[in-house]
Amino acid sequence: MRRVTLNLAALAVLVVSVFPVYWMAATAFTPTVDILSETPSLWPARPTLDHFATAVRAAGFWAFWRNSLTVTVSAVLLALAVALLAAFAVARMRWRGRRGFILMVFVAQTAPWSALLVPVYIIARDADMLDRLSTLTLVYFVTTLPFTIVTLRGFIAAIPPELEEAALMDGCGRAAAFRRVVLPLLAPGLMSTSLFGFITAWNEFAFANALIIKDQGDRTLPIWLSTFSNVFGTDWGATMAAATLFMLPVLLVFLVLQRRVTSGMIAGAVKG
Amino acid sequence: MVSTESRPAGARERLAAPPRAAGPRPRRTAARRAAGALWPYLLVAPAVAGFACLLVYPFARSLVISVQHFRLGELIRGGAEFVGLANYAEVLGGPEFWSVVRRTFVWTAVNVALIMLIGTGVALMLPHLGRRMRLAVMSGMVLTWATPVLAATTIFQWLFQSRLGVVNWLLVRLGLGSFEDYTWFADGTATFAILVALVVWQSVPFAALTLYAGLTTIPAELYEAARIDGASARQVFARVTFPILRPLFGLITSLEIIWVFTCFAQIWAISRGGPDDATTTLPVHAFLIAQSLHKYDLGSAVSTLTVLILLAVLVVHLRRMFRHEGEQA
Amino acid sequence: MRYRLPATAAALTLGLAAGLTGCGSTSQPQASGSASPTTLTVWFMRDSLSDGVVDRFRTDFQTAHPGVRLDIQIQEWDGIGQKVTSALASKDAPDVIEVGNTQVAEYASSGGVRDLTDKVADLGGSDWLPGLAEPGKIDGHQYGIPWYAANRVVIYNKDLFAKAGIDAPPKTRDEWIEDTAKLDKGGVQGIYLPGQNWYTLAGFVWDEGGDLAVKEGDRWRGALDTPQAVAGIEFYRRLQALGKGPKDSDEAKPPQADVFGKGDVAQLISAPGGAAAIEKANPALKGKLGFFPIPGKTADRPGAVFTGGSDLIIPEASRHPDEAYEVVKALAGEKFQTDMAKEMSYVPNRTSFASVLSGNEATAAMAAGAANGHATPNSANWAAVEAKNVIKEYMTTVLTGGDPATEGKAASDVITAILNTKS
Repeated sequence: MRRVTLNLAALAVLVVSVFPVYWMAATAFTPTVDILSETPSLWPARPTLDHFATAVRAAGFWAFWRNSLTVTVSAVLLALAVALLAAFAVARMRWRGRRGFILMVFVAQTAPWSALLVPVYIIARDADMLDRLSTLTLVYFVTTLPFTIVTLRGFIAAIPPELEEAALMDGCGRAAAFRRVVLPLLAPGLMSTSLFGFITAWNEFAFANALIIKDQGDRTLPIWLSTFSNVFGTDWGATMAAATLFMLPVLLVFLVLQRRVTSGMIAGAVKG
Repeated sequence: MVSTESRPAGARERLAAPPRAAGPRPRRTAARRAAGALWPYLLVAPAVAGFACLLVYPFARSLVISVQHFRLGELIRGGAEFVGLANYAEVLGGPEFWSVVRRTFVWTAVNVALIMLIGTGVALMLPHLGRRMRLAVMSGMVLTWATPVLAATTIFQWLFQSRLGVVNWLLVRLGLGSFEDYTWFADGTATFAILVALVVWQSVPFAALTLYAGLTTIPAELYEAARIDGASARQVFARVTFPILRPLFGLITSLEIIWVFTCFAQIWAISRGGPDDATTTLPVHAFLIAQSLHKYDLGSAVSTLTVLILLAVLVVHLRRMFRHEGEQA
Repeated sequence: MRYRLPATAAALTLGLAAGLTGCGSTSQPQASGSASPTTLTVWFMRDSLSDGVVDRFRTDFQTAHPGVRLDIQIQEWDGIGQKVTSALASKDAPDVIEVGNTQVAEYASSGGVRDLTDKVADLGGSDWLPGLAEPGKIDGHQYGIPWYAANRVVIYNKDLFAKAGIDAPPKTRDEWIEDTAKLDKGGVQGIYLPGQNWYTLAGFVWDEGGDLAVKEGDRWRGALDTPQAVAGIEFYRRLQALGKGPKDSDEAKPPQADVFGKGDVAQLISAPGGAAAIEKANPALKGKLGFFPIPGKTADRPGAVFTGGSDLIIPEASRHPDEAYEVVKALAGEKFQTDMAKEMSYVPNRTSFASVLSGNEATAAMAAGAANGHATPNSANWAAVEAKNVIKEYMTTVLTGGDPATEGKAASDVITAILNTKS
């Protein structure tokens, strides 16, 4: 009896979590005529690739895709590199100001980014940095930095310091010890931490809309997606196809790396 | 931003204590030690520089704007005038701000409570499932988690469409005829509910999977021992699971509070804070004032207040974290 | 000067980013050297012009001005206010921007738009349409240059009218309701009218003698709570119920042309240019579309309509103001205006060009309606009323059962507050 209840609950959770995404994909494959029919069919009986064709053929799709990827990957790599150094200092060293730094990182997470739009716009304008993907990269870098530091610190803390000390004993310098011992153990953690940054940067709309003005070719995918969902007056089939294409890269990265992320969180929370 | 002046009185001894753990070896010379002492600062320098240039500096600019008369003309021509705290007075004096604050608290409380409850429930359920079912549920969670916010908002708008949306169709099929062409996004409460559903749907996986991973680190013997003592499932949770995972619960809760409180993209994409301001939370309010009405000064004032309120909400957690950091090596 | 230092630091970090990832900043294609042409960026709004009109204009202009290349970009209506503001405040703005005639006043008063008062004569401004010229003019200075106008008409499906036994389009509101009710049978929708078509509502309110907002001395007052406005929305409610238009959406969601294209909708309220979109959605409807002016309360006077349209502005931050003016001149000139009016069924910007519209059923209906054309309240803050969706939300509330007087009062208060804001 308990088994049945349990499995029913699990099934409910499963359906609720999967259905919206399923419905997106199903709609993307359904011909427009069927989408507009009064009784939706739960399965695309006559699957079509038309909507994907519409989406991919929309002006600049591939350029936007490339822009998004460039900005996202650059921002994430930059955040990882900077966070790695900081996380190491926090996890392994004692120094005056350490707690202040940790506090700053945490407080940085509360930053209301939507409100910083105007000042960031003004700063970028005065520095002649509007209409550049690199400006977006920098913004996304800082947006993702706090969380990256917190998570990476957990991963580093999870690696026993004794390993490093042993390497130091063997005559390695500190940097060498780090490179040969810590870094290899940290690699999975680095990859999984990058996920959060990836999602955040991949999604961002407001800054991309405000900081890329004249250079149409420098727009990113979220802008493109919004033209579909908001203005084309919602051609639902094409919109869902666009959303599917938008989601695909994230999903792929996620499926590969998900498990390690959670273990990193544990390390971060439990070990401090 | 708000830096170290909030440091509690007990900042004290630990900071002064000699470094341990991976700290410098005792046999090092004084010179090397001095050089070594510089290292941590060099390592955090890029992060600090990043925060300073792209977070603290824009925030400072925002603060400056909030004490100026700064509208569309000033944005374009420059030359804003200093007006002191007039903008804050205007914001705090109006009834609108306080109703938005109240709504933001309700929004945060409802979402975080639901996320933590469902997240904990799913996490506790997972270990008791069969292998296949567990894998299926976890995959479903990952799928949800991986859905980008923009895609998710688009999906939810489609699900709840009044004319062709599958939700209305389903409800009518279930015998709720009043949902024929029901206009979800026309009603404040309904829109609010949809947004809660969306945010909870997107946030539960992080909480559930992280808690589940935490559960798996608890040694089985502890459960055995509790059960031998005759503890019920609820008692096991209260006496074993929760105490061990308390730091994890604390971290997840505070992260969720931050994320839900500052949540903007979902609300903006779906309702723009409408209908009738029913879904206008503080970040949306600030954005509306600044971007739709071009009152950048008032928008900045609202943002400053938003940060202060959020920090006040989190102060308990921040203090605890701060103390915790001091005790740890 | 104080922000130089952080800016430099940011630039350094930028270099770090580039070095780390190998992805440098994408540099803009800058015109360098005398051989390469000047590139002008021009912003048109989504669905303003067909691709054909745009392509012909680009080719013509570039042939006539060999040193200039046009980068014509299509902007989305959604979030356009923020976008244009960012552009006006930047140092390198687009050179020519199309802005809606309800929004041009706000930009014109911001100080970011080039004053073109001394060019009015050169552009033939003596017979500009007032509905476009007035909003572009602040304190006697002309910032916005009239471009095109259009007002709404009823587009109908001739087959469905014939099937319902209606042989002549309605001339009065009463006939209109009667005919529409007759059409709204079986699988046919009498009219597809989404709940948030606020320009149409404005027409009904004007018909009653009311307005969206009125100016009393120095102050504006929202007027949706007046008996006239209540009567206007009551009529809207009766009409809207004779079809399946969504009450919580506007004509763009879903695209009403697509809905009409399915063939089971008898009528639609749209600018005449909407007919092209319908025929594109369903080529089988070609030749089966009819047009009539929105009926008024009596047969001798058509219903009031909102005179919609666009102006052109040149931002102060344009780096090529002289070439930009050439573009504006060409867009506002006879050749382009004639081509555009014919293809898009728009009203050209000067009354002296209007003869090109004769002999066209669609534009004839539009011209008949235009005789009773109105504008939105002439305030720089009106754009904010639109941006906050005040009227749209009010309409949805009333259509889903709200009390028109109460809801009208609430919406009016919001409009009053917004319009009386000092900027």
